[in-house]
Amino acid sequence: MPEITNFVTTLEERQPYIALKQKVKGETFLACDNTSIAGAMSQRACVYSGARVALNPVTDAVHLVHGPIGCASYTWDIRGSKSSGKETFRTSFSTDMKGIDVVFGGEKKLAKAIDELVELYKPPVVFVYSTCIVGIIGDDLEAVCKAASESNGIPVIPVKSEGFKGTKSDGYKAACEALKVLIGTKEGNIRSPYRINLIGEFNVAGDVWLVKPLFEEMGIQVVTSLTGDSTAQSISECHTAQLNLVQCTGSMTTLAKWMKEEYGIPFRKVSYFGIEDLSTTIRETAAFFGSEEMKQKAEEIIARETARIMQEVRRIRSRLEGKRAAIYMGGAAKALTLIKGFRELGMEVVIIGTQTGKKDDYLQISYEVKDGTVIVDDANPLELAELLVKQKADLMVAGVKERFLAYKTGVAFCDFNHDRVVEFEGFEGFLNFAREMDSSINSPVWKTAKSNIRDSVDNRAIKAEKVPGTHIENLHEDAAIIRGMEA
Amino acid sequence: MTERNYTTVNPCVMCQPMGSVMAFKGIESSMVLMHGSQGCSTYMRLHLSHHFREPVDIASTSLSERGAVYGGSENLKKGLRNVITRYHPKVIGVTTTCLAETIGDDVRRILQEFREEENNADDVHIISVSTPSYEDSHTTGFIKAVDAIVRHFTEYGMGNDIFNNKLNVVLGENIAPEDTRELKRMLKATIGPRSFIFMPDTSETFDAPMTGKVEKIFPGGTPLSEITYMKNCAASIGLGITSDNRAVDHLETKYNVPAKRVPMPIGLEYSDRIMSVLSEIAGSEIPEAYRKERGRLIDAMVDVHKYLYGTRVAIYGDPEMVLGMLSMSLENGMYPVLVAPSCKTPAFREHAQERIDAMNLDCEVKIFEGLDFDAFNDAVKEAEPEILIGNSNGKYISQQIGIPLIRVGFPIHDRVGAQRILLMGYRGAMNILDRITNTILETKDIELEKKWLQNKSNDLQESCCDLRSAHMQPH
Repeated sequence: MPEITNFVTTLEERQPYIALKQKVKGETFLACDNTSIAGAMSQRACVYSGARVALNPVTDAVHLVHGPIGCASYTWDIRGSKSSGKETFRTSFSTDMKGIDVVFGGEKKLAKAIDELVELYKPPVVFVYSTCIVGIIGDDLEAVCKAASESNGIPVIPVKSEGFKGTKSDGYKAACEALKVLIGTKEGNIRSPYRINLIGEFNVAGDVWLVKPLFEEMGIQVVTSLTGDSTAQSISECHTAQLNLVQCTGSMTTLAKWMKEEYGIPFRKVSYFGIEDLSTTIRETAAFFGSEEMKQKAEEIIARETARIMQEVRRIRSRLEGKRAAIYMGGAAKALTLIKGFRELGMEVVIIGTQTGKKDDYLQISYEVKDGTVIVDDANPLELAELLVKQKADLMVAGVKERFLAYKTGVAFCDFNHDRVVEFEGFEGFLNFAREMDSSINSPVWKTAKSNIRDSVDNRAIKAEKVPGTHIENLHEDAAIIRGMEA
Repeated sequence: MTERNYTTVNPCVMCQPMGSVMAFKGIESSMVLMHGSQGCSTYMRLHLSHHFREPVDIASTSLSERGAVYGGSENLKKGLRNVITRYHPKVIGVTTTCLAETIGDDVRRILQEFREEENNADDVHIISVSTPSYEDSHTTGFIKAVDAIVRHFTEYGMGNDIFNNKLNVVLGENIAPEDTRELKRMLKATIGPRSFIFMPDTSETFDAPMTGKVEKIFPGGTPLSEITYMKNCAASIGLGITSDNRAVDHLETKYNVPAKRVPMPIGLEYSDRIMSVLSEIAGSEIPEAYRKERGRLIDAMVDVHKYLYGTRVAIYGDPEMVLGMLSMSLENGMYPVLVAPSCKTPAFREHAQERIDAMNLDCEVKIFEGLDFDAFNDAVKEAEPEILIGNSNGKYISQQIGIPLIRVGFPIHDRVGAQRILLMGYRGAMNILDRITNTILETKDIELEKKWLQNKSNDLQESCCDLRSAHMQPH
């Protein structure tokens, strides 16, 4: 069980959100799932952002932001999702609301904007995101979208994501609500007796393309991946799957639950990251369908792929053994699977936190980590900086905002978020991850980061004085330092 | 994408609070508390971190539904208390968002109450700026915040009224930390090291050296004590001529500090203008070092004139930067066929035209203010430039059309070193001219290679390839 301690200096009100994993001394639950405290410098974004990140990867949709320009500006092509088809989702559409729209309402402008975009881009679906002021001035988004759907003959779906109405998690729900409108609206294109959806998979850096072939090799048809590299068509057919694999459980479990109720499709919580979790996912999927042939194929794939990457993973592992990692993720699912991934590389987790974890998530996390690990919900920069130092972390894995914080404390960093450009999922992806760990942690720059001019010069001078005749070694050392600085 | 009337596609601007943040980040020991929902501050932190590659802390009042219905007073006060407790800033900039403005919070009144209620509120300067996101853009947000800061400190009653014979230098648009350092170097050389007050100064705050220590608030920024004395200065220079510089205007009307407005010193002509103004104010000759620098720039311009003459360029981004780049491209014989400042300003067109008219140009110059990138894309296709000059949001067009993009301005998300791009002064001009020319040369190299290869017979081509692969073999 995690125990709340005054481990870090922070606001009194924040203390219940930070705990130290210790030997059981009665039940203590980490406070979580609340709105952020004013002025506490949360790393979270808003409801709109939650909806936007969950839904934006739908590749051929027009994603129209109904609000002032900023909301669209800051989220233009930030997702890092890849598409095998249309790139419409990487274009930023906004109604660019002005003072006059705030006074007189933005409904008319919105209706005309939708018509205009449908005419110009001919999308199969339009998602209309509401932002803060839409919630205040009371534009009837649903009515406008309904009318636009009818007049344009395509689904125009409102995403109720007024920034202030809840947390990022509520944005995920809004995205799922929008997807529900689309699901089941088309006949499926059935090509295999075994069909699955990859739910909560966003194809960042092309992750899906390292995962989908594994299932296809087992004879399974992947109907769609939600929402990475999905299309309006594939989403509307996804009710034809027999099993839903849910990876980002924080954002999309609600959708999986709904599909279970609505279409009787069961779901499994899975991960495609790390050899252990990925192998379990492959095995469980084969077990679900029960085909002996498939089960055999699954084992074949796992053995073959593991053998293929293991030699290099082992080599890198020897360079990473014993290093200490800090995890700060948006959702708990990724944080959990990362614990195992680090274990596979011989590393230990010393800090783990999320922006949107729930009570059960933190309980699960507390079972997975060892004593002395700090668990934190909705952390802020000052807490994180202090924790990195106190917990002697060698590396932090998180998103862009945390990157430079880690760098400034002299801690290596890995982006597991929108900004990464290499795949981390699948077997190949894990190798990529291992390589990135190596290049992040073992770069000579971290020695340089802690150096200063006098120290290094003085040390060399003293050495030279004490041990006469070793000037050649010193020269080598100088050269190494210079190389390090150049690198 | 043809005619659009109701939608903005791929925006060129950000919202007002962003500009306000950039201004406050250039002030000593300051924090920003954004009055609105949690997302605004986070998105702006992301955007700024991407560009400057620094941690950027911006607090939020994290308004929720409750706050939106009953008013944000409680959240604002709590936010202030927590920022004071955690960061101990000397200044807190309270900047509003569309949410705070739409629910109609009376921020001034709430701050007044806060000062009355709290004991430790006297130690911190709380400055509010009204920056609704549905009005204007980040450019005006910057000007408004700079003005609010100057007003606050000059009216605060701190300091004295003794004439100090210094020069105020007030930015009208956010510039890179490297350019800030360059401008300060120019000022030191002409006016003297302690004879000017530069505001806002992000040279340290947005480009902080690695010390091994995480600072709650990065040291640097314009010292507060100096801002207090701005009203006693001998003169003000407003850097930027496309919009009103409210701060220097205010200092002139209220405190009789004569104001002069000069363009951002980008390129030879505009750098000359500021140098002559500065030497006039200082009452001395232009320093020898700078005459040499100017000479070196002209030497560089001679070196590159053949490559640049007639090169068709499209320039976009924030207005002052665009005006400067327009001026620089004109004086180097380039054809600025398309000029697109991100937002409409009172005087851009007039100043741009003045520079264009001064040249005997053999091309049409199209000026569009406040386009979005989609419309800009159409304009690019029509104007057919060979090079784009602007922020990294033009990368889509550059990739699509297959022409190079010279990255300057804000934001630059996809390359390193944005905070260190030197654009201003004679040295900045040399740097940018070199970059543009080398880009042209690289493109030409590839084109020439293709052209020659086409003229060769197939046999020759093969042997050529053999030769090349032979070169690539490790020896």
